[in-house]
Amino acid sequence: MLSQRNKSSDTMKAAIDLLLGAQNEDGGWGSVRGKHSNTEATAFALMALKSIEKEKFNRQVTAGLNWLLKHQKTDGSWPLNHGSKQSSWTTPIAVLALLSFQDQVERALSAVRWLLEQEGRKPGWIASVLWRLSLVNKMPELDPYLSGWSWTPGAFSWVEPTSYALMAIKKLRPHLSGTTVEERIQQGEMLLYDRMCKNGGWNYGNSRVLGEPLWPYPDVTAVALIALQDRAGSRVNQLSLHALTNMMREAASGMALGWGILCLTLYGEDLGQLKKTLAKNFQQTRFLGETKPVALAVLAFGEGAKFFRV
Amino acid sequence: MVNRRNFIKVSVAASLSSALGGCGSAVRWERDAYRKQSRSRVAILEARSYQASLKDTIRRGINLFKLDVKGKRVLLKPNLVEFDPKGVINTHPAVIEAAIDSFKTLGAREVVVAEGPGHRRDNEYLLTASGIHDVINEHRISYVDLNTDDVRITKLRSSFTDLKQLYLPETLFNADLLVSMPKLKTHHWAGVTLSLKNMFGVVPGAVYGWPKNALHWAGIHESILDINSSLPIPQFAIVDGIVGMEGNGPLQGQAKQSGMLILGDDLVAVDATAARLMNIEPRKIRYLEKAGDFLGNLVYEKIDQIGERFDRFHQDFRVVEDFEYLKVLTGY
Repeated sequence: MLSQRNKSSDTMKAAIDLLLGAQNEDGGWGSVRGKHSNTEATAFALMALKSIEKEKFNRQVTAGLNWLLKHQKTDGSWPLNHGSKQSSWTTPIAVLALLSFQDQVERALSAVRWLLEQEGRKPGWIASVLWRLSLVNKMPELDPYLSGWSWTPGAFSWVEPTSYALMAIKKLRPHLSGTTVEERIQQGEMLLYDRMCKNGGWNYGNSRVLGEPLWPYPDVTAVALIALQDRAGSRVNQLSLHALTNMMREAASGMALGWGILCLTLYGEDLGQLKKTLAKNFQQTRFLGETKPVALAVLAFGEGAKFFRV
Repeated sequence: MVNRRNFIKVSVAASLSSALGGCGSAVRWERDAYRKQSRSRVAILEARSYQASLKDTIRRGINLFKLDVKGKRVLLKPNLVEFDPKGVINTHPAVIEAAIDSFKTLGAREVVVAEGPGHRRDNEYLLTASGIHDVINEHRISYVDLNTDDVRITKLRSSFTDLKQLYLPETLFNADLLVSMPKLKTHHWAGVTLSLKNMFGVVPGAVYGWPKNALHWAGIHESILDINSSLPIPQFAIVDGIVGMEGNGPLQGQAKQSGMLILGDDLVAVDATAARLMNIEPRKIRYLEKAGDFLGNLVYEKIDQIGERFDRFHQDFRVVEDFEYLKVLTGY
């Protein structure tokens, strides 16, 4: 038992060291060490360090927070990285990171107001007519009129950006008013349920192609379930939770294990040997040195689930 | 059954009439996008299995094109869109390993494997499950996730979409040669997915999403043309046709034993030859037909086929029902 604790502690320390070593001089993080800082990597790394609550990381945490604050656009959103200045899907992840600080609610609220103005693309009128005509006596495989959030402005709604947006909006729900908020949450949830795979879980966002069922991914399933955690008892959530639990038996990557552990923690499920597996696999691959899975590992080992509780 | 494919087809058709519908003979590429030579060569090389001596075969193939890679940084771009333990979706790691070995032996300064998987964000899973991670480790080379790489905005050299510019990964600009290494597959939206379609994977998912949906809205055929016309470095192709995929590709088709590698420095000619080997008429594939106007040679008579005899490897690849019309071969 003691040896297991030591092993986890060693892994945690190694993962933190990896994160600290990858922080750029500007305070942010890139997707891997040596890349320019970007919003997603910085937000996850910042949450990971913040979850440790150790004063010795104050300097790095402050630098990371400053990077996020500096790069927030005047409309409240965040760009992807230094090369792409347009507002991006990473905005709700930055919101989650800001909300790990007690004094950043106003900045987070401005981002969520921007988020509420964004909407995935729906079919135009010509496509709508053709779509409706073709639906006579047929069941669609997805509902294109449900409105969620897209990866990039002007594109279709997808599972992962919709899930992040729902997490951010739900976390700030008490600070928001108006029917729009509840309508967008409801639409986003409906979209997620619409895109769920037949036996539970989610992939990038298509449950079937040409009549053939597609398979769920553990990381996306966990992210969607986290976004839907306030409906934990529903039959569909339980079906997907069961699918996730099954996928976790085979999961080996930092991304899958990190998100999986965070999700199962939020749902109050037994983690079994998952943290042990996470530690073992980190020793083997170091999660390719990618900032996000390493940060997820730190969050999963420690108390990081609280940042995703809505 | 109405499915997403049909839905996207009508949506895209409605929104993209400007891209192809009315193009007629209008020139949609800039002068510097034109790279068609008077003639092209494509090599078909026998490789019956992944256990065969692929290193020798690929090195011999590269030498047929007198490709000078001495001191150069070579970027290998396999197809790693998704992983299915029961399927044959990806470029086989043995082919990637043989290419790494060959380019190193031929004097490349650095060989890097890079991909921006179209569906999954979990690189570690894709690399370890597919066996590519072992290859990369063994050869001590770098893997770059093009989805999350630093990006640079690039003006498009053609206008089949109305995008005008694309974000491309910095890694691409820092290399001297881009080697497209697709799997020989049919594709339920594009007809075939070969070395040109494989370039969808160089476009960063962090900007365009998973799948790269913004490009789907802009038109798959049109995006393939605009991406390929605007790549900043020279290209070469090595198609893994040892085991291909027929039917509902690129993910859920069936394995097709084909026993060959297809190589060339004109990606249009390589793809045209590969399509013909699958008994698919390349001139009926929209993006290939347009690519044949300016990116390379599509017409059979303009392609000098070297290596093995065509008819030894010519097979009938099944396609999805909507693409049956692709199977009527003409022109050779």
